[in-house]
Amino acid sequence: MAFIKKSPGSETLAHEERRFARDCAGLALELESADASERRWAARDLADCPDASALLLSRLQREDDASVRELILSTLTRLGDEVAVLGLVNCLRSENAALRNEAIECMKQLPDEVAPIMQCLLADADADVRIFAVNVLESLCHPEVESWLIQVIESDAQVNVCATAVDLLGEVGSAAARDALLRLKARFADEPYMQFATDLALKRLAAN
Amino acid sequence: MKRILIVDDAATVRLFHRAILESAGYAVDEAVNGIEALEKALQSTFDLYLVDVNMPKLDGYGFLRELRGSELPQAPAIMISTEAGARDEQLAYAAGANAYLVKPTRPERLLLLVRMLIGEVPA
Repeated sequence: MAFIKKSPGSETLAHEERRFARDCAGLALELESADASERRWAARDLADCPDASALLLSRLQREDDASVRELILSTLTRLGDEVAVLGLVNCLRSENAALRNEAIECMKQLPDEVAPIMQCLLADADADVRIFAVNVLESLCHPEVESWLIQVIESDAQVNVCATAVDLLGEVGSAAARDALLRLKARFADEPYMQFATDLALKRLAAN
Repeated sequence: MKRILIVDDAATVRLFHRAILESAGYAVDEAVNGIEALEKALQSTFDLYLVDVNMPKLDGYGFLRELRGSELPQAPAIMISTEAGARDEQLAYAAGANAYLVKPTRPERLLLLVRMLIGEVPA
């Protein structure tokens, strides 16, 4: 049963010979190689090239090899430029659940880059994107996280978006969230999960 | 006592489902992602899996595909998601789910599905 993921093999990389030139044009070609080990080299080394984020994002959409994907995402996170961040946001709209989750994990590591677009993400027309935006907030070390979450539970009409925000508020919230949680509980009075989750969050806030 | 594994990265959701299932007499274990769920499935036998779609490391689809393609003991699986689209439901069944529930969970609906899939009431 092969269900334990292999980590990207840095040791393997060290022993593999390179067929492509190490300049940017060569790396761009190497990123499209049929050989996964060559794509790993390229995904790692493209970081210093112009248009690296665009090339990596394009490859990410088609990449099946987990170790290459991991290196692409690691390089995108290291780059953290506007193209990389917007590309990761687009991944949130993907039908590929693994890609969405990988994008969320990357975005959590880019608080300063993601913060300016968080209001837009939390107001996105697609409720799933709003849920993923709240998921990003889970580990986003940013001073506005609590106020963003309060804004969500005060204004979002979609029950699952609010439910995701409540889960997180119970962990990172303060007394400032109490009244908003009580209003939310009243707003979704016929949803058993929301009653359970708001009660739990209020209990946690009271204990803090 | 029938054993159910809840696979969900959201702690509050796990607590909610645990409370529902334990109050109905089921034994419950938890995993926070698909990798942990596969490890639990290696160590124990479950009568049913309750699986979220979106989880880090290995999502619900990935978990079910690995489980169904393995020699691990098989059991019915309910996939739970915030996504109500027909395509999401199709993906869940293609991955190996036996039922699909849209969040937020209604306790009576969940228990009915569990009882049907475990064979305690006719489907």
